[in-house]
Amino acid sequence: MTVQPVIASGRDVRLDLFRGLALWFIFVDHVPTNIVSWLTVRNYGFSDATEIFVFISGYTAVIAYARMMERDGWLRAAARIYRRVWQLYVAHILLFVAFSAQVVWVSIARDMPSLIEEMELMGLGQNPYQAILEAALLKFRPVNLDVLPLYIVLLAAFPFVLPAVIRWPFGVIAVSLLLYAATCRYDWNLPAYPENKVWYFNPLAWQVVFYGGAACASLGPQLAWLDRFRRPLAALAVLYLIFAAFIALSWHYNPLEQLVPAWVGRLIYPIDKTNIDILRVLHFLALAWLVRLLVPADSPFLRWHLFAPLRRCGEQSLLIFCIGTFLALSAQVIVSHFEESVLSQIVVSVAGVVVMCAAAYVATWFKGGGSAGQGTGRTPSVEAVP
Amino acid sequence: MSRAWLWLGVAVSLLLPMTASSQSMTLCRAKPELLELGNPLLAARKSIAERRKLRIIALGSSSTSGYGVSNPVFAYPAQLKMGLDKALPGIDVDVINRGIGGQDVEEMSARLRGELQENPASLVVWQTGTNAAIRQMPLDKFTRWLRDGLALGKSLGADFVLMNLQYVPAVVAAPDKEAYEKIMAAAAKEYDAGLFRRFDIMHGWYQDGMPYAQFVQLDGLHLNDFGQKCIGKLLTKSILNSLNGP
Repeated sequence: MTVQPVIASGRDVRLDLFRGLALWFIFVDHVPTNIVSWLTVRNYGFSDATEIFVFISGYTAVIAYARMMERDGWLRAAARIYRRVWQLYVAHILLFVAFSAQVVWVSIARDMPSLIEEMELMGLGQNPYQAILEAALLKFRPVNLDVLPLYIVLLAAFPFVLPAVIRWPFGVIAVSLLLYAATCRYDWNLPAYPENKVWYFNPLAWQVVFYGGAACASLGPQLAWLDRFRRPLAALAVLYLIFAAFIALSWHYNPLEQLVPAWVGRLIYPIDKTNIDILRVLHFLALAWLVRLLVPADSPFLRWHLFAPLRRCGEQSLLIFCIGTFLALSAQVIVSHFEESVLSQIVVSVAGVVVMCAAAYVATWFKGGGSAGQGTGRTPSVEAVP
Repeated sequence: MSRAWLWLGVAVSLLLPMTASSQSMTLCRAKPELLELGNPLLAARKSIAERRKLRIIALGSSSTSGYGVSNPVFAYPAQLKMGLDKALPGIDVDVINRGIGGQDVEEMSARLRGELQENPASLVVWQTGTNAAIRQMPLDKFTRWLRDGLALGKSLGADFVLMNLQYVPAVVAAPDKEAYEKIMAAAAKEYDAGLFRRFDIMHGWYQDGMPYAQFVQLDGLHLNDFGQKCIGKLLTKSILNSLNGP
């Protein structure tokens, strides 16, 4: 039975570390004019932090709930998953309220006519009552509030796939790919508000990343089977990353852009985000493969104190995601107030990350009953994982 | 060692010109002749003069609906409304956003009658051609649907402004993009519609040295916040030129 390796694998520090990194990236990239986003993956290829976040979410979902299902049965595990879905939903609604309140506060209290003009609507303007109803139904999601609803939908479907992904990970990958292909081919999506809008992150397409992560977790050590091709795969991955970096940088330098042959352009564009273009999936997989080779789970540097804040943020991912989204809006307002000066971009980015880390430490302290030590060897409650 | 320094130098020189894309509208420019729609917009003038009212339908696909912008207010129809409100005090300006992602002339022509019946407007800004060019819609079909739509719209008494393709990597890579543009220009002339030359305007940005990242989303297709705001601003200017012209 393939359940064994899943249960035995314990907590992989890389998951928290890279999820923390993804959360930092999401915050930095959500500030529209931000030179610091040059430190994130986004400008060097097709995929961005969203793929990292969703993949790790799928991976940790298996780690957390496979063992629970084994021990307490499917019903109990499904109930726990739905408790988590409820937490995510509550967090999303709270974030929606806090986010809207911030917009209103900025518009009214700061008395900046230009800001009022640009920020007052957010789609709430024409029919606020209906917008609130649609927000509760997850159909209306203002700016940057798209990721949690995606996660909620993915996790809500997860109990029904969990038994399968543990027994037949390859089967689940195949079905997931089929659904992805059909979604792209027939343009399926979930309805949104206002009318005729669709989900910015289409769950029917993005599930392919989530279940990619879930299948990898389920396969566990069996993934080592791929190691017989480690060199050719690594070479392919490197070549593809170089190609992607060239294209991504060409969006910033016209002389580079002119070097891209027309037939390449015809082949790759548009690189859809809503239905996660295959180029994005491949880019993420190439990155993940190289990270797997270069950063083994037992690398000592993963436990360096320097990286502790990243790990803490990754452990408290839901809280930190919400805070990051909220702060990204504040940062946007501040940067535009200082006429987009580079200094203001750097200051708000650093300040935002510091606040996120502080919040992560406080949350860890609360969870530990007010006595969180260094805690590197500590095992947090499984539920908090995904 | 010296080799390491060389690589460091290369890396730094690559990183030096990196700047964050600015949202500042000082970069938003176009040659004045590109802001002539070539149509006096008589129905719109009449509505303003007689009823102190200007209702505009923005018919189009994802650029009109504002796909991927960080705030729906940045989409060009909302920008058009804000611009006209400022420029036409005392006139009741209404811009109705009827952009539906993924559509092109075929679906838009089909819903045109319904849109105009639901919201009788004196001006329709019809943004189209991009999805057709990317998906290689046969040119004869494109021509036919576009002309059918214009004929129908004109018969319902509205002025039309055609907004042509956007200059973005996905469109630039499309082989027949100029053909779609020409068809739109010819149809505008024949059916007495205005033409907003978005393709040439944006091409001008690119030729001025503006990188795609400044005005295009990372998918290589959709306008970002800056692109949308700037197009909204320039469209406002063009429409005002027409309304105030001879």
